[in-house]
Amino acid sequence: MKGMCSVSVMWDEIATDVMKNINEEDNVFSVGRVINISNNVVEVAGLKDVAFFEAVSVVNKARGYVSAIFDNTVNISLVEQNEKITVGDKVYTLNKNFKVSFSMDSLGKVVDVFGNDLITGKRFENLLEFDVETEPIEIIERSEVKREFLTGITGIDLFYPIGKGQRQLVIGDKKTGKTQVCLDMINNQKDKKVLCLYVAIGKTKKEVKEIYYDLIKQGASSYTMIIASFPDDLPAKSYVTPYAATSLAKFFMKQGLDVLVIFDDLKRHADVYRQMSLSAKKIPGRDAYPSDIFYTHARLLENGCQHKDGGSITMIPVVETKSGDITDYISTNIISICDGQLVLSLKKFNKGERPAIDYGLSVSRLGGAVQSRDMKKVGIKIRQDLLSYLEIRDIYELVNLDDLGENMKNRMIEGQKILTKLNQYKYSPLTKEQMVNLFDDIKEVK
Amino acid sequence: MIVGKIISIYDVSIKVILSSPDLLVGDILSTEDGKFEFEVVSIDSIEATCITLNTNHGLKKGAKLIKKASSIEMEYSDQVIGRVFDSYGRVIDGKPFTSIKKVPNKNRTISLDRLNIDTEPLWTGIKIIDFFAPIQKGFKIGLIGGAGVGKTVLIRELIHNIYTDTSANAIFIGVGERSREGQELIEEMKKTNLLDKISLVFGQMGANPVSRSKAVDTGLTVAEYLRDEKKNDSLIFIDNIYRYVQAQSEISMELKEILVENGYMANMAELISKVEERANSTKDGAITSVQTIYVPADDLNDDAVQNISAYMDGQITLDRKMSEKGLHPAINVFKSTSKLVDVDKIGQRHYDLLKKVLAYYTRYEELEEVIAILGVDEISDEDKNIFYRSRKLRNYFSQPLYAAESFTNMPGVKVAIEDILNDVENILNGTYDYIDELSFLYIGKYNGK
Repeated sequence: MKGMCSVSVMWDEIATDVMKNINEEDNVFSVGRVINISNNVVEVAGLKDVAFFEAVSVVNKARGYVSAIFDNTVNISLVEQNEKITVGDKVYTLNKNFKVSFSMDSLGKVVDVFGNDLITGKRFENLLEFDVETEPIEIIERSEVKREFLTGITGIDLFYPIGKGQRQLVIGDKKTGKTQVCLDMINNQKDKKVLCLYVAIGKTKKEVKEIYYDLIKQGASSYTMIIASFPDDLPAKSYVTPYAATSLAKFFMKQGLDVLVIFDDLKRHADVYRQMSLSAKKIPGRDAYPSDIFYTHARLLENGCQHKDGGSITMIPVVETKSGDITDYISTNIISICDGQLVLSLKKFNKGERPAIDYGLSVSRLGGAVQSRDMKKVGIKIRQDLLSYLEIRDIYELVNLDDLGENMKNRMIEGQKILTKLNQYKYSPLTKEQMVNLFDDIKEVK
Repeated sequence: MIVGKIISIYDVSIKVILSSPDLLVGDILSTEDGKFEFEVVSIDSIEATCITLNTNHGLKKGAKLIKKASSIEMEYSDQVIGRVFDSYGRVIDGKPFTSIKKVPNKNRTISLDRLNIDTEPLWTGIKIIDFFAPIQKGFKIGLIGGAGVGKTVLIRELIHNIYTDTSANAIFIGVGERSREGQELIEEMKKTNLLDKISLVFGQMGANPVSRSKAVDTGLTVAEYLRDEKKNDSLIFIDNIYRYVQAQSEISMELKEILVENGYMANMAELISKVEERANSTKDGAITSVQTIYVPADDLNDDAVQNISAYMDGQITLDRKMSEKGLHPAINVFKSTSKLVDVDKIGQRHYDLLKKVLAYYTRYEELEEVIAILGVDEISDEDKNIFYRSRKLRNYFSQPLYAAESFTNMPGVKVAIEDILNDVENILNGTYDYIDELSFLYIGKYNGK
């Protein structure tokens, strides 16, 4: 009964508070009190006139957004917290949707979604606000993905080409060079008028700082923004980071710019979302992920597109696998969303192949549609020769080459040559002409 | 008229306290300004639970709701042909549209009496399908496969080969798939002047689960119009029916229903049945449907996949291993079946050849393991023949497709069933033993060179 009593006292307090605050502060519209705190979700009583996904502040201690509205209370997911919250703390709504902020001076910097410069620790002054999620891009607003997006890596540009507006997944185990492939892509956009957003989700601070220095060293920082959330940030902050970055990318795309967005990586993002769902008591599905995990990533990656007015967003999500298994739940979900996948193999990496692309498992659903004529011609031919070689190599490995017949023998020899030519070390991009000429001496095998 | 007030709000659902007693499940409600729309899914005395048709962002507790319609409605006239709709039946191709007659897109069942199962074969021109899993008018064909093994290319090829060759009307229902592909399909239909006979409905993967699940009902209403009103045969292409189940399970989670294994809703079988039994042929018109079935986590035993494939007359299973070897269409012939594979239906010759090829393939798989250790030289001459001929057959069943021209740089080809049977027979009886296996890769019919 004591509990009941204190709640009713609190309700009275809230009522007087609301009146007082409306009179005193003109930007505060509704006030409530914290009644329950658990797992970065705060239950609040009293926020009468609140909207779903509205921005909320817990008096100088934390910020968040409304994630559920119940009959008498409201759930707030916290995205930023400076001090411990106690039951009874005042909660204000700001009468606007929860938004993120970016400064146009963020190029070359490491920033978070609240407009902080993470290197200097200062907040930018000229911030622009963005909705975390905006309307999906309708089919009729889209146009064909057909302009090439060059990475400078032969194994990608020739065999599994990427077009502006394409979503190409980079997938592989730990230490197979996934991030390096992404950095190579950024590096190759120099003087190509592509704005690059590298979105770090769940990367360690050390890793992000290394990437920051690497980009400066390569002279790629003038057109690249690093948007980071770290493992020690609140889950909701990591969860909104890729959406926020996409919102920013859409803003640039609508001005006609070509934008590259890298999400490194979405497996961590899925895990953060699972954590949030489970603490919100949602019923778990396969591998304990909530049933809407597919939608969570689908609506993010569906923003990658070629807009009919000229701009584009090319998306490169990264997914980390275990023991080279690309058929687990999250991986197959994201593969099925993307327009192709670049599979990196630990075995090939250890053999010394760079980049360690698994040519059999990699796919580009757009293929030659985004290549120039020369690239398409050479690419399709050489890729088929290579795949055919890789397939017969396994079967005929033990056979004496001379017993195979002229055709098969040549296929074996030329195949090995192709594989050697595909080796390419980091930050050594090739131009289209160089790639095409690379295979001049490969013999025709029927 | 105001029917109630919002008392709680979640991700894609709301609770409403009712002020009017005449609300029914299925009614469409909206806020007074029309910005937010909902469908009633359950009523509990004075409280109703509704699912959100678009978004809840910015929606306020206490907002008043009005009744807008008694169901989601779909145009039921010739106006639907050649147009593009969203999952709620709204025209989205930007061209002017005036409605003549609308009907609720709700489920209508077919009695056993009306159901028609006598029809004729339908050759697709795709070697591996026509040989291993031939199809027939009025069939339901499932294209089963994990992520990125070629379901979409295959359904596009079937649209190309079947739809362009017939005078039938077609309906394409995009459920939970890529918007980019939707855009490409519309463009392709425009370019090839085929838009005049096809209706397209899209509820793509960026849309909320309610929208994705409604696309199927909306598309099937068009099919019913063609069958029941126009008495026409029609083709339905659904890409991807699994996404319908997935969207439904998201809604169930949102409504806090108790879910079964892998997060599916308990009434999955019922929901699938309602869709599949609706898309059947009657004496008025045949509905041939091609449906892609996504396999989550490459798990063919997945409940949803099993449940859906039970309704299929023919199923074509795509395989990651084949795709890895660069053999497209990457079909696993052991897991691809058809009700048409019967001596009485496809004839003795086809049936015998099929049996023999499967026997060869089975032995080939065993031999592959032996050879990986011992090499080809160590096996008997009979096994050598099986081994080499099987590899030729495997290569022979790869094929340049129209939908894959940008990957192969080769024009697509169609092959007649007679040619397929001749070629297979010649490979099996050793006529082509002297020709190396690479010559059979990505060809149409073998021309003897």
